[in-house]
Amino acid sequence: MLDNKNRIVITGCGSISPYGAGVSLLTDNILAQKSSVKFNEELAHIQDLTSLVSSTVPEIDFSYIPRHFRRSMSKMSLFAYGAIQEALDTAGFKKVPGGVSLFIGSTISSMQTWLDFSEKFKKQEFDTIKTTVIFQVMNHSPLANMAQAFDLNGLGLGVSAACATGLMNIGLGYLAVKAGFIDKALCGGTDEYHPMMTGCFAIMNAASNQFNDNPDKASRPFDSKRCGIVCSEGAGIVLLETLDSALKRNAQIYGEILGFGTNTETKSISHPSKECISRCMQIALKNANVSAQEIDFINAHATSTVAGDIEESKAVFDIFGGEVWTNSLKGHIGHTMAASGALELISMLDMMKREKISGTLNLDNIDEQAASVKHFSGVKELKINTFIKNSFALGGTNCSLIVRRFKQ
Amino acid sequence: MMTREEIIKTVNDSLMKEFELKPESMKPDANFFADLGLDSLDAVDMVVVLEQAFKVKIRKNYEVGKIMTLNDLYNYIENLVKENG
Repeated sequence: MLDNKNRIVITGCGSISPYGAGVSLLTDNILAQKSSVKFNEELAHIQDLTSLVSSTVPEIDFSYIPRHFRRSMSKMSLFAYGAIQEALDTAGFKKVPGGVSLFIGSTISSMQTWLDFSEKFKKQEFDTIKTTVIFQVMNHSPLANMAQAFDLNGLGLGVSAACATGLMNIGLGYLAVKAGFIDKALCGGTDEYHPMMTGCFAIMNAASNQFNDNPDKASRPFDSKRCGIVCSEGAGIVLLETLDSALKRNAQIYGEILGFGTNTETKSISHPSKECISRCMQIALKNANVSAQEIDFINAHATSTVAGDIEESKAVFDIFGGEVWTNSLKGHIGHTMAASGALELISMLDMMKREKISGTLNLDNIDEQAASVKHFSGVKELKINTFIKNSFALGGTNCSLIVRRFKQ
Repeated sequence: MMTREEIIKTVNDSLMKEFELKPESMKPDANFFADLGLDSLDAVDMVVVLEQAFKVKIRKNYEVGKIMTLNDLYNYIENLVKENG
């Protein structure tokens, strides 16, 4: 029997997205059906690269972060700082309480910093490298930087699970709070864009390359003309605590996490399978003690790749049938990598509260092979109660999180 | 050869830019740690910045570690510039 001490709720949310800073800005733009994808001139100068679009965070002035902390931050840590600050603000913490834990990761450390670092190394200019560079290229750079900047002195875990990083960190944070091992956790993911990111997906023929002249249309999950991922960046953070703690603080509650599931695809390092995705969602349902019939919305991982969207559609149909509304938010913002699971979850929470949910952008003609589930375009007035959020990753990591509108 | 005034200006400009210091804090007797708020990482990075600004190598010079104030630094650089002709 659950009591308030082992019910886990989300009481703070923070977003740095390709639309800018703030959760409201993210949701407003998604509901306005605006794409953040743009033509990227830098990509056009890379020989033989066929994908020339990306989705990046507009210029944000982070000079308000004290230099002492900012000096060791690459862009992904700056993004994380903005998202954590908003999560703490919305959670009602004017001062960071002691013992807060942090679960945050990125897909890879700062590529630009690594390139600059290795260039100097190759040129025998090693003695011109500054000490603060080291802290930007560590695998757990955002974790280390955020812990210092916000004095987060509880458990620190910087799990990296490629594109599932954000949701994995939220899931692990959820499990740790639920187990009573920690009290409060800031959880999520962050990533900074680099052209090499698009290059990596292009090498695998998985980067969008048919809409370079029409970037708004480039990311189109489940659509018959989809042609790959649009790489993006940002940071998403949620604050988790027990319901007991939230009620005592009179905190606003964005939603209750009911369960988490994760597993690993071992048939292919690059291709997800319907079977493994299905098992992941079933693990989450079991962990949440929720039946498939109770799920009334599915926020898919769907990245706009040819293979991935089909496998996820089939898995969703197998478990939930074809009558549960399904969307992917990557048509709007592209694939924000390590941030994606967290940012998409945060926007879903906000839309659930507003009772207005966006469908998938650029879904002009549903791919026949992905048509078994219930897609939609535009914005629907829907009062959803329990949704599942999926995140999958290159390398085989799958994650599913089940969230419910809060009720006493 | 650089004059002392030129050395002071180059040192101050380099450190103000690197460590976001205000011009009014750049007093000759300012202590790097107590007055300018720098720490051990900054001290290492200061050497990198000065090596680039003055085209000299000072990282392996033990005497650098004894420099505590801006004035100490001006004197040190002035001597170095003289030695290097």
